[in-house]
Amino acid sequence: MENITAKIKDGMLYLMANGRIDSANSAQTEALITKLVDENKGLGIIIDADELQYISSAGLRVVLRLRKSHPELKIINAAAEVYEIFEMTGFTEMIPVEKAYRKLSVEGCEAIGQGANGMVYRLDPDTIIKVYLNPDSLPDIHRERELARRAFVLGVPTAIPYDVVKVGTGYGSVFELLNATSLAKLIKANPEKLDEAVAMYVELLQTIHGTTVNPEDMPDMKAIVLNWADFLKDYLPADKWQKLHDLIDAVPVEHRMLHGDYHTKNVMLQGGEALLIDMDTLAQGNPVFEFASVFNACKGFYLPYTGDMNAECFMGYTVQTSFDIWDKTIRLYFGTDDEARLAEIEDKAKLVGFTRLMRRLIRRQGLETAEGRAQIEYYKNEIETLVEKIDSLIF
Amino acid sequence: MNIVKTLEDSKLTLKLEGRLDTSTAPELDAVLNESLDGITELVFDMEALAYISSAGLRVLLAAQKKMKKQGKMELCNVVPDVMEVFEITGFSDVLTII
Repeated sequence: MENITAKIKDGMLYLMANGRIDSANSAQTEALITKLVDENKGLGIIIDADELQYISSAGLRVVLRLRKSHPELKIINAAAEVYEIFEMTGFTEMIPVEKAYRKLSVEGCEAIGQGANGMVYRLDPDTIIKVYLNPDSLPDIHRERELARRAFVLGVPTAIPYDVVKVGTGYGSVFELLNATSLAKLIKANPEKLDEAVAMYVELLQTIHGTTVNPEDMPDMKAIVLNWADFLKDYLPADKWQKLHDLIDAVPVEHRMLHGDYHTKNVMLQGGEALLIDMDTLAQGNPVFEFASVFNACKGFYLPYTGDMNAECFMGYTVQTSFDIWDKTIRLYFGTDDEARLAEIEDKAKLVGFTRLMRRLIRRQGLETAEGRAQIEYYKNEIETLVEKIDSLIF
Repeated sequence: MNIVKTLEDSKLTLKLEGRLDTSTAPELDAVLNESLDGITELVFDMEALAYISSAGLRVLLAAQKKMKKQGKMELCNVVPDVMEVFEITGFSDVLTII
């Protein structure tokens, strides 16, 4: 069997290496590579080392000669042992060599949770793996991992994001296993401990907002919110839309960390300490943008609410409890019981929150049903009233 | 986990043995809280530390913050498994590892 086969993908020639390349077969390998390269003139070259088990100095010299005619050459999917050879010989400083993802199987592992994007398994007593259903999710996995890593180094309590691994045809992300319960579960099981739970919720939120991030490290929430508002341009009266846009635009750019999806299922308790999970929405900006999503999660999402206040909300506890969490959270975070001030804070959070919900519902074909149209009309009226009432989004 | 304290003038060496995880991190935190007054050099000897979790890393980070104001902090003899955690998490860039 030939130890090099060719594959053309996205205008690149992939030389798929397998087995061993050593002094016994290096001349033959080089002849084969030359032939494949000649047949595909003009294409960039990538050596895929996925199936390569060993490369000797004779093999490395073949690669070096190929690089002379193709300076952009790179090597991908190098297994740990092969990567070590490239590293020891100093090759990694001359040619880009990308390591292969460690391969893991979740067969026999206990499934401990299911999210929107995939399954979570317990790998061993110290780690879990989040396996993503969509094989194209690799950039998102790296993004979330990188955000979590940045937050972690800045002192935000969260689980350690270990490596990204290959699981079958898809990918997974390995995290530290937290021996923890979500705040949502704690509140559901112990309604009498609500004040204690809110105190932890607020303390962690203040830690997040008290963390300064590098401007280039996390997305600017203001730009994201401006995008939501832009989407509504065709659905709001011109003057009201302009006011909405100007209010958001007037919020100064800030480099405070925001979680972006701060609800009680994303706060875990371990040994009395609150930890943050689900870091893919981390951003930076003024806390008004955070409170918009906190408001939505606690209250906005259910409005206009006409049902039973004792019904179960998405977090598992009652709708009344969810509304109470919002109220207690802003009282504690802002250190005030002044009703006028609290109403003002809620209005600001609600304006940004509803901007998001209105856009979301329209994008989810809300205009196609009578129920959806009524809900969109509700958001629209609220937004129109609020933009008239509010002079600044700053708390 | 076992913590062995050695004090020479204003240099404190803490030798950590075992696992620094959720259940043992509070112990180290308590030792640090009562021992850092007047210390200008804090050294963690990590030779016998086999595992570190996020809770352990946070205690080191808090110690580092404190020591920055009053002197320096160093980690020595880090074993490969623990070093990997420092590298993966980016802690190798913020801690002084010798």
